[in-house]
Parts: sequence; C-alpha cells; structure tokens
Amino acid sequence: MRTFDVFLQAGRSLWRNIVRSALTMLGITIGVGAVILMSSVGESMELLILGQISSLGSRSMVIFPGNEQEGNVSQVLSGHDSLTFEDIERLERLTTVTSIAPIVFLPGSVEFGRETAAPQVLGVDPNFFSNQKIAAEEGRLIDREDEDRTARVAVLGPDAAADLFGDVSPLGREVTVGDRSLTVVGVTKPLGSQFFQNVDDRVYVPLSHARAVTGQKYANYITMLSTGSFDLAFTDVKALLRQRHSIDNPDDDPKKDDFIVRSSQQANVILSSVSLGLTLFITTVAAISLIVGGIGIMNIMLVTVSERTREIGLRKALGARTTDILLQFLLESVALTFIGGVIGALGGLTLAYLISRIVSGYLPTYTFAISAYALLAAAGMSLITGVVFGMSPACKAAQLDPVESLRYE
Amino acid sequence: MPSAHTKSPRAASRTPLIEVTKLSKVYVNDAVETPVLFDIDLRVQSGEFMAIMGPSGSGKSTLMHILGFLDRPTHGKYRFLGKDTAGRTDDELAIIRATKVSFVFQAFHLLPRATVLENVMLPLLYHPTIPSAERQHRAQAAINAVGLFERTNFLTSQLSGGQKQRTAIARSLVTEPQVIFADEPTGNLDSVSGIQVMGALEKLHASGHTIILVTHERSTAEFADRIVHILDGRIASDSRSHSRRSSSGLTSLK
Repeated sequence: MRTFDVFLQAGRSLWRNIVRSALTMLGITIGVGAVILMSSVGESMELLILGQISSLGSRSMVIFPGNEQEGNVSQVLSGHDSLTFEDIERLERLTTVTSIAPIVFLPGSVEFGRETAAPQVLGVDPNFFSNQKIAAEEGRLIDREDEDRTARVAVLGPDAAADLFGDVSPLGREVTVGDRSLTVVGVTKPLGSQFFQNVDDRVYVPLSHARAVTGQKYANYITMLSTGSFDLAFTDVKALLRQRHSIDNPDDDPKKDDFIVRSSQQANVILSSVSLGLTLFITTVAAISLIVGGIGIMNIMLVTVSERTREIGLRKALGARTTDILLQFLLESVALTFIGGVIGALGGLTLAYLISRIVSGYLPTYTFAISAYALLAAAGMSLITGVVFGMSPACKAAQLDPVESLRYE
Repeated sequence: MPSAHTKSPRAASRTPLIEVTKLSKVYVNDAVETPVLFDIDLRVQSGEFMAIMGPSGSGKSTLMHILGFLDRPTHGKYRFLGKDTAGRTDDELAIIRATKVSFVFQAFHLLPRATVLENVMLPLLYHPTIPSAERQHRAQAAINAVGLFERTNFLTSQLSGGQKQRTAIARSLVTEPQVIFADEPTGNLDSVSGIQVMGALEKLHASGHTIILVTHERSTAEFADRIVHILDGRIASDSRSHSRRSSSGLTSLK
C-alpha cells in the first residue's frame, strides 16, 4: 500500500465518523490549548517581570532599613531610621560601590491651582536618575547644582503631570508640595512600573530640599551601583554597616542586621527560580492532560477496532498486509491527536492573545508572548501521544485473524 | 478425477489452477483438537464454475478459506498455478490475495458510509502493481460490468440487497483475479435478487472467469458446471452438472 493511500484511508475513515473523531480530539484539543495558553501567559508574565528588573541594569543595588525578621520592603514606609547620613558618607568612600543616591520621602499632597494629586514625593540625589535609568521626556532632571543650592524645583512623573496639568505642559509652572512652592523643570519618560511600583506617579525634589523640610537625619532607602561584582559590594556594604551599627554578626544572619541589601541580580535569581517552578507546573499539567487525552484516544480507538473488526477482516481478505492495517490505525490515531493538538494550540494562542489585549490596558508593558519551544513541544507531544496510545489498538487490529474477523457479528 | 476440460486434447498438459492433495485441517483450541477437513484431493482448472456444496459444519467454508489463502492447511499440499504454497509468509499470502484471488461474501462486507465507487476501488489500494491513476477507470469498468453504472456514486446504504452484492461482485472483479470465491452469495437475498446475482456470476464465467461457489443450497449450486459435495470434512462426490440452471430462463419465469 502506498504511503499516500494510507493517509487517504485514515483520513476517510475519520471523516466517515466525523462527530466521533471531533469528540475524541476534544481531550487533546483542550489539553494542548490549556498548555499553550498557560505557557504563553507565563511567558508574558516572565517578560513583564524580568523586563522591570533588567531595566535597572545588573549593577543596581538598594539598601533598605529594617530587617528580614520584622518584615520586608514595607519597612521602608514605616520610617526606620537606621540608615543615617553619616553611614552614607562612609558608604561613599567604599570602592566597591558608586553612584550612591539616598532617598527621603516627603509627605503631603501636591497641588497646582485647584488640582490636587497624591503622588509619591521623593527627595532624591541626582545619581538616583542614572541608577534607576529614569530619563527626562521634557525639560531636565534634578542636577547637582539644584542639590547643592537646595533649589526649589520639582520633576514630575508623567502620571503625576497628567493628573495636575492634563494636556498642558507643566514646565515652568509652580506646584505646591507640602506648603512650599516649587518650579517644575522636567517631566520623566513613562516607565510603567519598577518592582511593581508605579514610577510614573511620582514627584522628585532635590534631596537637600526634602531633608530641610523634614529635618530627617536618615534616608528612607539608598540606591547605588556596584563597581564590579555584586558579591564584593555586598560584603563591603554589610561589613561597613555592621561595624557602624555595632552589630556582631559573624554568622552572616540577616535577621540580626538592621538593614537589607538587595540587588537586581538577586531578584533575577529569585524570579528565575519562580519561572522554573512555573515551567515545571505547566509541564506537569501538560503531561497529565496529554495522558488523559491519550487514554481517551486509546479508548475510542479500541472501540473502533472492535466495531470495525469486519472491515479489518475485509481489508485483509482484499490483500491488506498486517503493516497496512497497523499503519492505517496508527495514522488515524496520530491524525486525531495532531489535528486536535493544532486546533488546541490555535485556540490557546487566540485566548492568550485576547488576554494580552485586555491586560495591556492595565499593564502597558504586558505583551503577548509565546516561546517556539512551547509550540514545538505541543506539536511533538500530541504526535507522540497519538503513537503511544494508538499503538495498542493498531496492533490489536493488525493481528486480527481475517477468517474470524469476517465472521464477527 | 473429472475435469471440466477433459474433452480438450491439451487439457492433460495444462497446469491446474488449483491442485490440492491430501489436504487436512485441524483447529486447535485450548489443547482440544477439532479436525475439520480430511484428505481432500481436488483439482480446479482455469475457467471452471465449480460449486462446493455441503451442510453447515461440513467444512466447505474452511476449504474455501484455505483455497483463498485466508487460512493455511494443517497437512497436505496446495499448489496454486503449479507452485507449492507451503511456507509462504503472511505478507506473501496477502499479496496473493491482493492479486490472484477475490471474494464475494454472504454478508456483502461493504464499507459503510462509502460510495459504490469507493468500495470497488478498495482492493486496488492493496494491489502492488496497478497504478493509482488507473484505479478509478478500472473500478468504473467493473461497476458497469455488473450493471450498476447509475449507482456509481451512491452510498452503499442507499442500495438494495441485490445491488449491494453486485457491488461486491464488481469489487471482486476489479483486480482481474485468477479465481473468484463466492461464499453463499445469495444467502442474504430474496430469490429474485439471488437470481440476479447468480446471473452476474454466470456472466463472469461466460467471459472466462474462474468461479468457486460455496453454498448449502442445491438450487444455487446448480448454476455451476461442477458440484463438489463435502460431508463431514471429506469429499463425498464430485460431479459435472448436466442440467445446469440458467438465470435467464428463471428470471423470465418470474
């Protein structure tokens, strides 16, 4: 029997039982569809998260006050005072870190005329912008001169600017922060979120101004860059702060410290393990759904073989060899799983795309993504499922005795 | 042994189509041996129309299955076209079935939800030498030969019993086999359709085909030139039918 004929025969047999074929495929379709959908959404999430981290660059570091036992980053907001400006002066002398930028929060709302907004107001060192890869869209950023003169200037995030000024350019206008009037000198480029904080809804003022207003002797957090390896910088910073804070911590137990050092590299590692976990989860679901779908296929194929016993006997009487029958039934099962898989993949992709369209309305950096591996794996796995679960029914069909089969009622 | 061609001076030198000597068949099931055929000696020449007759359980179907390469003898020799068939592999037997023999069954055995044409083309799929481009043409010729031209694209479910069996006859013709085995071809048909089907087989015989008919009905067997009686697994008699029935006479009586 010619290869093309085997395909034709398998195709015709499936077509003659189109409803059953469709229902049999459904298991594989849903399984593959779910896997493609999940892996696409997972991929998009990963890009979203890694995009936020990598936007900071691999040298970026942050020191928060507080310690891991008491909680986490939220300590920043409760105003721990362990990171004093004397500490910062000493940090600046370390060779393993550079571009040190302390941040002081300035409470209160921001007003322009009758418009009031409640963005986060940060008193920042000029280094902050380069550390966080924040650039100006209009006007300029806060520079060293502003800092040194304690200039009454402000730079707005695009969301804060839109809240206060709408479509009007805010450059040169006066906004009221707390009870001080500041001149807007720039608007930053939209960035979306970094570490799940909306960096666009912010107002930046010179650090010296924020310190003068609050009288704060400590920083709410500090950003910096490591000059070389993060590990060296990490060790240096910890040693310095422990010495200055008189913390005896030979075991390097983070619970004893009153500060937390984080790097984007660390976050990368953590998120990579999260994404590995996600991948394993998807793979497990994929395996389970393909096994369930495959068993469905095997079940129907076994029923089909019983129902078609006489047809098999007839084909053998007409000269079909064992391999002809084997191939026909195997191909029917593979065609079912493959077509089911293709439909499932298309359905999964469509859903994932629709989801990305909806989600990107809220998270502009969320993009539709799918890895070629996921598609190849789905196609490969659905083919393999067809072969594995079609083999036993096909062997059963091929080994039927023609005389017995023709008599089968 | 009587032969349809003893009158021909060249018959003695002609190789028989089928030559069976001391053939026996024993079925073994759960260590229980059931002998079905004993010491069968039979020769069939090309062009014969032979009936194998016998009551059910006599072994006539088993003999047909062995002669048609669907089954193998337990003992004895089966020479087909002068060649011993012992030791052939399953695939070799499949190729013989695809090219040299064909079957018409009592239960028709047509593919459901397929057209007459698709059914008649089916054996050509398994034929090793007929090119695929010729399939449709050959199938159509076979369909025309049994008078079903107008039903070519009908689904088999839309046919009457007689038309179904004639489709099966067209299917048996399409590979131009050496011999057509007809196993109770009229068993599922009313008498008028039965006579039509026998008429179709008669026509094939007249055009030179070798037909071996298996039946338990004397009236059906009488269409053949030669009747071999099987009783309890042995050949009880082997005779030329001198009062051969003809479908033309019978149909005109109805």
